[in-house]
Amino acid sequence: MVIHVKCNSNAFKSESNVHYMPCKINFDGNATVSKYLQPCVKSGSTGLTVSFRGHPLNGKEINLPTNYKGIVLQERVKPLTEDADRNLHVVNTFKSITYWNWDKIPNHDDAFIAAMDWIDIAEALHSPVQDE
Amino acid sequence: MDINENIEHIVKSNVDLEKCLTNRDSKDNITFGSGVKFSDPCIVGIDEAGRGPVLGPMVYGLCYYPLGKESIFNDLGCADSKTLTDEKRKDIFQKMCSDDVGWIVEALSPTFISNNMLLRSKYSLNQIAQDSTVGLLNKIISMGINIAEVYVDTVGPPEKYQDKLKSIFPEFKIVVAKKADSLYPVVSAASICAKVSRDTALTTWVFTEDFEVSLEEIGSGYPNDPVTKKFLKGNFDKIFGFPQLVRFSWSTADKILEDESFCTEWEDVEEGASEKTPNILGFFKKDPRKKEHTKHEFFKKRKLMNTENL
Repeated sequence: MVIHVKCNSNAFKSESNVHYMPCKINFDGNATVSKYLQPCVKSGSTGLTVSFRGHPLNGKEINLPTNYKGIVLQERVKPLTEDADRNLHVVNTFKSITYWNWDKIPNHDDAFIAAMDWIDIAEALHSPVQDE
Repeated sequence: MDINENIEHIVKSNVDLEKCLTNRDSKDNITFGSGVKFSDPCIVGIDEAGRGPVLGPMVYGLCYYPLGKESIFNDLGCADSKTLTDEKRKDIFQKMCSDDVGWIVEALSPTFISNNMLLRSKYSLNQIAQDSTVGLLNKIISMGINIAEVYVDTVGPPEKYQDKLKSIFPEFKIVVAKKADSLYPVVSAASICAKVSRDTALTTWVFTEDFEVSLEEIGSGYPNDPVTKKFLKGNFDKIFGFPQLVRFSWSTADKILEDESFCTEWEDVEEGASEKTPNILGFFKKDPRKKEHTKHEFFKKRKLMNTENL
């Protein structure tokens, strides 16, 4: 099975707002973030706060490491069989993520935030060694 | 009479009240009052409005005036606040914005109520109610009001609540009673402040969300009001639920969410439930999992793994 990632240059023109939510939402599709969530986000002494379905959330804007870009992929046609080739389209890009915790100020103990460490370590481990 | 520095917003009329409730972030709590001060010992009444509704703030009203000046209430005519029309209540509220009687109100936003009831460690509605009552008393104490007697209306068992308040304020005579608003004119007056503030908060509500709903469409906020029911059903989003006007933690709202929204799964907060004490014999057994190739702690902690499939 081969996975093709396809993109046209338009996808890189717009940058989207990505929110990492602290709960699983059993749905895959569009959400009216700009209507319900974005206008209610507040910035204060404890960072960002918002209420989602009555739950108090604490958030933090996380910039992706330099030279990295986030991409949003969409599969328009689901594969019919397991070994069929798959086509994923880049529909949007992002440079930062709004990371949310439920009633807990985001910090380095959060797996998602800590996972960013790997980027520097991977760089050190896997970048080609220069001959001297 | 001097303007008080302890109250953020001084309200001197129905118009002031509307202004003060409109020009703010409706997701936040707000405290406002008349700022009136007395040097003589005062009688204090406290009542709430809007505990039942699924929409809008829950409001605590506190009214105070010097002992022995009860006669002013004969002129106000607020003996039984529950039987009054909205207009009549507004009328009395306007009269209460004089220097003969003082009052202070705290409106607790629906977002504040839902958020507190949905914390990792829950904060009950009764505790919220008690904290607001104690907060209002402390506010007028810091204004220099000399409190002698306090009358409080309650929906729960009065004895326990009365003991609790007495332990916080042992120096005052405190009476907690059911239906105190029809027994004590000072509580009745407090109830008018609370009720008028709650009604005004609902009619001046500013949606933070990108929402266009006329305020007649929201109804009274009571769960059995057909207009409110229609508003809840009609302005429902399968992902976000409702706008911040709604108390998500109320059973009416919660039921619609449960039945009609996309299900959400939150982190389990019950501590220690998953970790059983291991059986001592288990230490001598071979652990089949140990043979598997396990990832380094670094990756486990960060929930990083290789992906071969999408």
